[in-house]
Amino acid sequence: MNPIIVPIHRKEILVEDGMLFVRTDGILETMVKAPLIIAGLIVVALTMPVQFSFSSTRMLDLTLYSDGSAHISTQIDVDPLEPDFEVNLFGPSIDNFVVVGENGFLLSSEIIGDKATIDTLGSSSVTIDYDIHDLISKDGRFWTFSLDSPITYSVLMPPNSIIVGMDALPSSMDVVNDQIKLELGTGLSEINYIFSAPTISATPSNITEQPIIDVSTIALIGVPIVAAIAGAIIVIKRKQTKFLPVLQTEETPRLQIENDSIETTLNEINFSEAETIFNFRPEMREDDKEIIKFISNNGGQALESELRKKFLQPRTTMWRAVKRLERQGVIEISKKDLQNLIKLKKDLEDEE
Amino acid sequence: MKTITTFGLLVLVLSMTFGGVINNVYAEDDPAILLKIAKRAQDQIHNQISDNSSDKVKGLFEEGAQKVIVLEEALKNNDYVSAKEYFLSAMKIFKEISQHLTTSDGSFNVESQPASKTTRDTSKDPSNDLQRLQVYVDSLKTIAKRYDAVIDFSELDTLFVKARQEINDNQFTQAIETIDTIKETITELNTNLREAASHQESKRATEYAQKYLEQLDRLIENAKKQGVSDEIIEKLETAKENLSSAENPSDIIQEIRKIMSIKDQFELTKNDRLESRVLQIEKTLLRLSQMDGVEQDDLADARYMLQRIKQNLNDGEFETVNELLRDLAKQLEEIKKSL
Repeated sequence: MNPIIVPIHRKEILVEDGMLFVRTDGILETMVKAPLIIAGLIVVALTMPVQFSFSSTRMLDLTLYSDGSAHISTQIDVDPLEPDFEVNLFGPSIDNFVVVGENGFLLSSEIIGDKATIDTLGSSSVTIDYDIHDLISKDGRFWTFSLDSPITYSVLMPPNSIIVGMDALPSSMDVVNDQIKLELGTGLSEINYIFSAPTISATPSNITEQPIIDVSTIALIGVPIVAAIAGAIIVIKRKQTKFLPVLQTEETPRLQIENDSIETTLNEINFSEAETIFNFRPEMREDDKEIIKFISNNGGQALESELRKKFLQPRTTMWRAVKRLERQGVIEISKKDLQNLIKLKKDLEDEE
Repeated sequence: MKTITTFGLLVLVLSMTFGGVINNVYAEDDPAILLKIAKRAQDQIHNQISDNSSDKVKGLFEEGAQKVIVLEEALKNNDYVSAKEYFLSAMKIFKEISQHLTTSDGSFNVESQPASKTTRDTSKDPSNDLQRLQVYVDSLKTIAKRYDAVIDFSELDTLFVKARQEINDNQFTQAIETIDTIKETITELNTNLREAASHQESKRATEYAQKYLEQLDRLIENAKKQGVSDEIIEKLETAKENLSSAENPSDIIQEIRKIMSIKDQFELTKNDRLESRVLQIEKTLLRLSQMDGVEQDDLADARYMLQRIKQNLNDGEFETVNELLRDLAKQLEEIKKSL
């Protein structure tokens, strides 16, 4: 027996003793329009970046000094429509406060207590650097660093410090010139440490291990990728286009050019170049020196993505480091296959 | 075809949705480092414990060491949930021991800390002060370069070399004096730098006010169309005039604050987000137009699109504005990638 579906809009009057049959197996299709849901999801997905684009901290790096002070470097996206912006500092004991806008111009600011009002005047992002004396306390030989962070942040521990307690789970750890650098998550975290003789003998390469990624992570990343690849294969097969040969012919010369250029640079730059740079810039940060060493050992050039992979740094942190080195005139940044290629500069004198 | 389209859309949605999650995946814990940190803490504590240490400390250490063992086991078994728990427990115990050892005179084995003296003397050793000032001066140098300001940092550089040498020679008193001189010099340089920056700041403030006036024009036009009362329109017009005549940055900020207050008071802020996006896009476009290698036709297209967006904002077509903004953002992204 075929059930009869009676659309509501017909408004037919049923006979009093009649029976209404409703086909339940197709009710979802009838009531819910899948394309509408997908379109809705797309709208949600597209609006997500807009929602998070104003007044949010993009990057937060901390350097702890052995006297209990800390240097904070943070980048914040601000609303370009606002004339000024009030930022909460991590405490009231502030020194050496500098804030620059997106173009590197100095912005005026006023600090009252643990708040700074910055005259952004239409800037859409600000970079703030300051020293602070409120994050670390000391009890005998026992030091405690404590921070309630709005975002994931990195903290470079003081030289010769040994962590003897912590109530947060770090997401990554690296050793930069015998100093431990941790990546910590949002919220309140506390690290307890003491100072000792330099005991860290391991080099960054053997300390840093490949992160163990659990199955759910793989699934989370893998499933959409596999789905996308499967979709692409289906589309390609159906359309029977000639994309593949085109890709192959483009790929070969590109790789050849890349290999040639790396070989040429290897011949031109020797490994003592790092030392020359360090002599040229004695004030260079230790973590920056590690980057220079790596680039030097890599034949004088490296992709920014390689640096991120090597030093396990987030994109913004590494980009800031690279830009810092560029400002110091020791590297130059160029584009290579849509990626940033970082090269050691040969003529350092020009930048002085 | 319909199936493929649906499938394609699904993939797009999934990838965009999970795209946001992938950032967080980076922050997911790397359990292997937990063991390294815990073992390092254990070794350190072990070095500090002597025969004279109290039974409580020894007992706690055994407990902590046990936690490290089970942490290692949990990691071997890929039981990360337990591993995290064991790590936190172990670190809590080590913290307790360490606190106890550092505050208890008798149980702390001083001999096991040969290099601790250097770190204990930091109140006298001004290395950190010098380090912080060097970072600060580096920032100032970068800013000065950005302004092409003629500021002589050579005196400071010499003072830094001198202070560093004095610290190396353990002449901390002299080093502190040199650091004081550095601080004084920085204050002078800072004044010069602020002066150099003030001209640029006035220029930026005027440009910003100009942009804000454009936005205010659109707001007033829309308010008129929506039948907002003449009193409010008049207030906005007066605020606009005041902003036009404001010259220095602080006056401009003050006038804009007043306008914002009027907008808040009469609930005229609903387009602010779109206006902010327009400003951002405009900045990106300006940056691109100053870069080499950008196709002029592409820039012309983008500028035309921006004009359309502003026109639609004027006309109160906010949905269209949203769509066009998104298209233009994509277009600018493409231009950036092509460089």
